[in-house]
Amino acid sequence: MASRGGGRGRGRGQLTFNMEAVGIGKGDALPPSTLQPSPLFPPLEFRPVPLPAGEEGEYVLALKQELRGAMRQLPYFIRPAVPKRDVERYSDKYQMSGPIDNAIDWNPDWRRLPRELKIRVRKLQKERTTILIPKRPPKNTEDKEETIQKLETLEKKEEEVTSEEDEEKEEEEEKEEEEEEEYDEEEHEEETDYIMSYFDNGEDFGGDSDDNMDEAIY
Amino acid sequence: MTQAEIKLCSLLLQEHFGEIVEKIGVHLIRTGSQPLRVIAHDTGTSLDQVKKALCVLIQHNLVIYQVHKRGVVEYEAQCSRVLRMLRYPRYIYTAKTLYSDTGELIVEELLLNGKMTMSAVVKKVADRLTETMEDGKTMDYAEVSNTFMRLADTHFVQRCPWVPATENSDPGPLPPAPILVISEKDMYLVPKLSLIGKGKRRRSSDEDATGEPKAKRTKHSTDNKEPIPDDGIYWQANLDRFHQHFRDQAIVSAVANRMDQTSSEIVRTMLRMSEITTPSAAPFTQPLSSNEIFRSLPVGYNISKQVLDQYLTLLADDPLEFVGKSGDSGGGMYVINLHKALGSLATATLESVVQERFGSRCARIFRLVLQKKHLEQKQVEDLAMIPAKEAKDMLYKMLSGNFISLQEIPKTPDHAPSRTFYLYTVNILSAARMLLHRCYKSIANLIERRQFETKENKRLLEKSQRVEAIIASMQATGAEEAQLQEIEEMITAPERQQLETLKRNVNKLDASEIQVDETIFLLESYIESTMKRQ
Repeated sequence: MASRGGGRGRGRGQLTFNMEAVGIGKGDALPPSTLQPSPLFPPLEFRPVPLPAGEEGEYVLALKQELRGAMRQLPYFIRPAVPKRDVERYSDKYQMSGPIDNAIDWNPDWRRLPRELKIRVRKLQKERTTILIPKRPPKNTEDKEETIQKLETLEKKEEEVTSEEDEEKEEEEEKEEEEEEEYDEEEHEEETDYIMSYFDNGEDFGGDSDDNMDEAIY
Repeated sequence: MTQAEIKLCSLLLQEHFGEIVEKIGVHLIRTGSQPLRVIAHDTGTSLDQVKKALCVLIQHNLVIYQVHKRGVVEYEAQCSRVLRMLRYPRYIYTAKTLYSDTGELIVEELLLNGKMTMSAVVKKVADRLTETMEDGKTMDYAEVSNTFMRLADTHFVQRCPWVPATENSDPGPLPPAPILVISEKDMYLVPKLSLIGKGKRRRSSDEDATGEPKAKRTKHSTDNKEPIPDDGIYWQANLDRFHQHFRDQAIVSAVANRMDQTSSEIVRTMLRMSEITTPSAAPFTQPLSSNEIFRSLPVGYNISKQVLDQYLTLLADDPLEFVGKSGDSGGGMYVINLHKALGSLATATLESVVQERFGSRCARIFRLVLQKKHLEQKQVEDLAMIPAKEAKDMLYKMLSGNFISLQEIPKTPDHAPSRTFYLYTVNILSAARMLLHRCYKSIANLIERRQFETKENKRLLEKSQRVEAIIASMQATGAEEAQLQEIEEMITAPERQQLETLKRNVNKLDASEIQVDETIFLLESYIESTMKRQ
């Protein structure tokens, strides 16, 4: 250990091999030592060869750019969920930014995939988690219809929540077309801010006037 | 997986599938095989997002799953398959040259969707072709099916493994994940379908659209009431076969450059004859007799048997050793040395890189060392006829670039430097690997630069897109020339200039990516072929 420190002081500049063998003669100017890492973009000594031009090259180029654009439009391109803004806005209801409830837009063949990858769609009611597997026996749909009608009457009294409406829409997918259209109408009726039970459609207009005959009827 | 490969995979996944899929994919590539919950926990994404991403990745054959004991399913990403996404345009173009537009669209649909059933592919391609045809003409399903069958016969598309149909009706609880199998003979078996129909043109005043609100149509479009006849039989593009085709193309063009057109035709014939008989990893093709080759030459070439024999002898004697003679029966048995051919191509790539990077004198030294295998410093100077100082300089430049390596041969057991020979040599395999790594880095840089350029000019691009949309809608409603002029002037001249520059740059960057990918293909094929032989 002592000799190591001593060797540094004594034979400085002596190398273990013969410098002639490497090719550096005595008294030759050595290249300057590097004091910093090599530059990030060193200047090019030789210009690069031009890219091959021609019909094939252009066609493949156009294909590449088209493919890039096309893949962004396919359902396989998963966009991250839009972050919730500070205040819930009215327009949020009308902008369907993504697939409902994290389900995927396309239908893979579930027989080929592990079962755990299937996403279950949750209903707002925490007691019931409905799974959208078409193998459900048909009697359950009737139960759901009754409970949905009850829900709708309740909805007129409570505040409306956006996700619940979306789930209603999704549930309608399972039913037949005529029923869907009926529900659509009722849905649209309920989207107004006015409470439906206060609406007086004027059926009993004539009955009220019997009480006071001295006032004019307009 | 090297860092460069992971970075490139990350960029490719992000460009084609979005950030969520990219995060999951890169995590799987980095850490290997993992179950679902661990992935969700480690990446910090919600379980639903992970499930979505995994569905997409499995659909595109980028991730495979395996059932381990106790029912745990583990997912593993295939890094090399992700890198193939760079080559999609080349596959599609090859299909176009071989099977024209129909084949091109079939391969494009299969690549974009990962896997599809034959009926779905045929329908989609027929619709797309009908769009491009003139009014009144439609594409028949039968024609598309024919092209599909030809693609399957030449092994360009293959069946995906599927769940074997179990004999007993109730096997007990379902396994957590299906085990997919495929046998060799079934891989190219086309199901007997009678697809009758014509492509539909997508018009706004279509009969299908009337009466049904648009939202419902999109919901029900995937919900076909009729059973699909080939349900469960999925097809995917067979990338290995495309690679074989590229390799054959490279060999034929190399022979054409070195010798002449006729010899390249002969080599092409030989390769075509051994397409199906030779497995893709074989070092050389099956021996072919000169008589067979003569019979299989393309019809246009009427060269006599003697001329053919002369050409074959010339090819076999060539120092590059693309063709070898393996026997004398049948007028001479000839093989194509695939492994040697790939080696020559990789070496040529290395030489060309050295020449473009360091200059032609360096390239001379490089070729010299390649030829003589091991050379001392003094010998290099003498043989290359380059002054000592410059030769030294060039050798050290190449040494620090890892194209050339030093081999030490000690004279004494103590390895004293003054009594050791230092020989310069080229180790082709390690130089090829180094160059491949550099190629991955280059493509990653190119993609990043392209994204940067596009982001810089995003505002301008959006503006020009809006203007185009306005012009298109105005033209559709029949606007006058003056109004169109006015709208076009919304983009000022310097802005137009900027757009032109941007377009030129992006095109250049894209073309460079395609070019680097060709180099990657050659180097990867060579490395793979060498590794298989060891």
